[in-house]
Amino acid sequence: MKKRRITALLAVLAMTAGLLSGCGSSGNTGNAPAGDTTASAEGGSQETASGGGANEVTVWYYMETEGHQVALDQVIQDYNASQDQYQVTAKYVPFADFKKQLSIGASADELPDIAILDSPDHASYVEMGIFEDITGKFDVSSYYEGTVNSCTVDGKLYGVPFGVNCLALYYNEEMLQAAGCKVPETWDELMEAAKALTSDNVTGLAFCSVQNEEGTFNFSPWLWSTGATSYDLNNENGIRALTFIQSLINEGVMSKECINWTQGDVMNQFISGNVAMMVNGPWQIPTMQAEAPDLKWKVTLIPRDAQYASALGGENYAVINSGNVEGALDFLTYATSEEKVTYLMDKFGYISADKSIAEKQFAEDSPYQPFVEELNYAMPRGPLAEWPGVSDAISLAFNQVITGTASPEDAAAAAQSTIDGIVKQ
Amino acid sequence: MEKVKKMFRYENVGFLFVLPAFLYMLIFVGYPIIRNIILGFQDVNAGNLVRGAKNFVLFANYTELFRDEIFVSSLLNTLRFTVLCLVFQFAVGFLLALFFNQRFSFAKPVRGILLVPWMIPITVTALMFKLLFATDIGVLNFILRTLHLTNANIEWLTTPGTALFALICANVWIGIPFNMILISTGLTTIPKELYESASIDGAGKVQTFFSITLPLLKPTIESVLILGFIYTFKVYDLVYVMTSGGPVNSTHMLSTYSYKLSFEMFKYSKGSAVANILLLILLVVGLFYIRITTKEEA
Amino acid sequence: MDEEKKITGKKNLLFSVLSVLLLCFLLFPLYWALITSLKNEQEIFQNPPTFYPHVLNLKSYAAQVETGDFNMFRSFANSFLISMGATVIAVLLAVPASYGIAKYHFKARKCMLLSFLVTQMLPVSVLLTPMFIMFKNMHVYNTWIAAVLADATIGIPFSVLILKNYFASIPKDLEEAAYLDGCNKFSAFIRILIPIAKPGVMVCAIFSFLYAWGDLAYGMTFILDQEKRPITAGIFNFMGQYGTKWSYLTAFAVVTIIPVALIFIFMQKYIVSGMTSGAVKG
Repeated sequence: MKKRRITALLAVLAMTAGLLSGCGSSGNTGNAPAGDTTASAEGGSQETASGGGANEVTVWYYMETEGHQVALDQVIQDYNASQDQYQVTAKYVPFADFKKQLSIGASADELPDIAILDSPDHASYVEMGIFEDITGKFDVSSYYEGTVNSCTVDGKLYGVPFGVNCLALYYNEEMLQAAGCKVPETWDELMEAAKALTSDNVTGLAFCSVQNEEGTFNFSPWLWSTGATSYDLNNENGIRALTFIQSLINEGVMSKECINWTQGDVMNQFISGNVAMMVNGPWQIPTMQAEAPDLKWKVTLIPRDAQYASALGGENYAVINSGNVEGALDFLTYATSEEKVTYLMDKFGYISADKSIAEKQFAEDSPYQPFVEELNYAMPRGPLAEWPGVSDAISLAFNQVITGTASPEDAAAAAQSTIDGIVKQ
Repeated sequence: MEKVKKMFRYENVGFLFVLPAFLYMLIFVGYPIIRNIILGFQDVNAGNLVRGAKNFVLFANYTELFRDEIFVSSLLNTLRFTVLCLVFQFAVGFLLALFFNQRFSFAKPVRGILLVPWMIPITVTALMFKLLFATDIGVLNFILRTLHLTNANIEWLTTPGTALFALICANVWIGIPFNMILISTGLTTIPKELYESASIDGAGKVQTFFSITLPLLKPTIESVLILGFIYTFKVYDLVYVMTSGGPVNSTHMLSTYSYKLSFEMFKYSKGSAVANILLLILLVVGLFYIRITTKEEA
Repeated sequence: MDEEKKITGKKNLLFSVLSVLLLCFLLFPLYWALITSLKNEQEIFQNPPTFYPHVLNLKSYAAQVETGDFNMFRSFANSFLISMGATVIAVLLAVPASYGIAKYHFKARKCMLLSFLVTQMLPVSVLLTPMFIMFKNMHVYNTWIAAVLADATIGIPFSVLILKNYFASIPKDLEEAAYLDGCNKFSAFIRILIPIAKPGVMVCAIFSFLYAWGDLAYGMTFILDQEKRPITAGIFNFMGQYGTKWSYLTAFAVVTIIPVALIFIFMQKYIVSGMTSGAVKG
């Protein structure tokens, strides 16, 4: 045992010595084929994510929910069984790590063949130049416009929408009845209901306000409902949105802890009965039905200020241009067929990005139906290569307001100046 | 005797002993350091990471950083965090080491168990402290209320000032066993004869501590502090899991901000520049350490 | 000196009680995690909190076993393998290096000591990409070797700095005696010095092991396949999945802590005595 370790160590040292000369310019020593047997002897099967033989197709995705993973695996298995030219494998990369892994992979030319990624990040990776232009390869004419926009840059299509979702308001029916409230439609009604619903152990409203993209996603409906945009918020409308959030906190109808709650946490608070109303997405429904089958809840449009608004979420498929493009396209053609889309969306609790499928996807009384209606008011974030910067400024603004470290006016002004610095038009 | 002296003159044999480790570190960390220094002077972002010219912009990243509020506050946070953590963990660790150096029945087993916090992955520690410091369900708030030290729950992790405090508590908790065990081992290197002769000379406990223990422990103390400083200064996992730099960027450290710039905002060069500033500060500390240690030997 | 004499009687009792109180205080976070994992969600949110689970809830533990494709035992084995590998490299390289630095006043000595320190001065975020490129070129990307190599870079400088004090405190006449007995530099080092420095080597081995054990960033970045990743990556995934579902999270934490704690408690006689006894004679 000891001896083997030492030999392994020596081998490693010898390899590194050879590398020393080549590490200045990457890639010099990396010409050996991927299935290099010496390296795989001890380390188990040596798989490289890209270029691993013409027939391998690797997919990276970040959905951590078990049901999602199982469904995706099922489609992949069906595909692999349906033909014998390509072999698709899926690799789970945690969401918190996804951007990093793609960045590093891009530097090191070690990427999958397909990535299923968060739609607002799409434009940044297009700018990085790692996605294949697939204009004309897929018919996206019946897809929701916002979803297609999120994978389009300069009129070229760099991806196919995987599925779509948006945010809506969930409410605990029994609590609402007990408090004698009607379902809120406007901000005033929402505030009134939230106040009535708040008691010692229950807060009226919750939505994820984490200072990252997830939080921005959840704040956007409020911002846009006033008529402000993500790029222009230092005005009466933008400040009104921030002031509304501030009053939710100050009135005690929303917990400050929301800045630490992910959407999953918010859902857990809701099904535990600690929160009476929440803003969340349709992907929570399968979990909610499984974990709290007795809880009575309904979904409605997010109450409006000047107009109804919601944020468009969801993922896109993208084909990596340095990988097995043919295989990737072949798989995507299979996975975007109506039958497979319907299966995936059903298991994911998503709505099909294809409008023609979405409209007949759910029964009239399905809890998903309000989300389909909400989609009419939903807008995408971006698409913009610099979106991460804009999003960061916005999420800082509402976090400042929630924690009371800045007034809505100051927060809006600060965010605006950051955004102006990023979006030079 | 001639032969022995001759052997010791060949001081350079020592070089051969050091060489393998040195080469190993040079290969695996030397290249990243050089790459990072270069990256800090370029303007690499999402647009030119893979293709396109990587222009040299000299100090533009650095001048921009010093105008960036979050950078300045993360620099101050890092310093504050490091100094406070070091002071507390070293003091407590030292006292515990002295205490457990006494030969009472429980000394060895209890000291052994006290090492457990050090074995727990930082991710898990961060999780446990997040629970302790939670506003509504956190036990710390409950204890404070019971002792009437506070009336309302303190929002530890959602208030800018207190979040850093929570981080320091968690880090000190990890650091205490680290300091304790290294000082304990250091104590064993002090020859017992020295204490015996001191007690024959009639020296008191306090006197022996200052005239024997402390001076002989000095190299250990220096190493513990310098290593402690370096590892604390680049704290990452703990902050990332407990606060992710929030609320409102109030607990960003240089390392977390560098990560955020590089991998969340795609500003790779700026992220590298932050890391280089971190490197520079630690380099000054390191040089200082080398000067003290070599002065002693001279 | 008192410190070396066994303490008996009342003082012994007092010190022992005191040490146990200290222990309870310092390990309270662990206790809290344990009991939280045994409560149900309602009880966790109860106010005032309960200091032991009133209704025993083992569901969270059952869920660990049921959860999907994540195999806890395999992750443990991976972590163990990676940490052992990193420890072996760190000790093999650091022991001679620290001896060289402590005992020989060669020219580049200061410079080398500093460069060992410098390697620890970059935050992990900027090390990831260049290391990744190297491992890919070495064809060890996505194998545990990559994590071993990366983790050893934490253990080596640490061990060098700690061990050099050890070797420095060993009197030169011991070494000289060995030479007179016919040893050369290397055999003197191996036969005389290493045994004397054993506690120090032990400490360095343990620390190198624990640094590698606690590593998250390297294991997660350089190993892509779930089934090859260390346990810390599993915890991280789990946190992403369950957010603040505390009963699940703490159950997971407890399950990850217990085996290490057990190994440690069984081994502690050897570890602790290895670290603190066998000091310099002479």
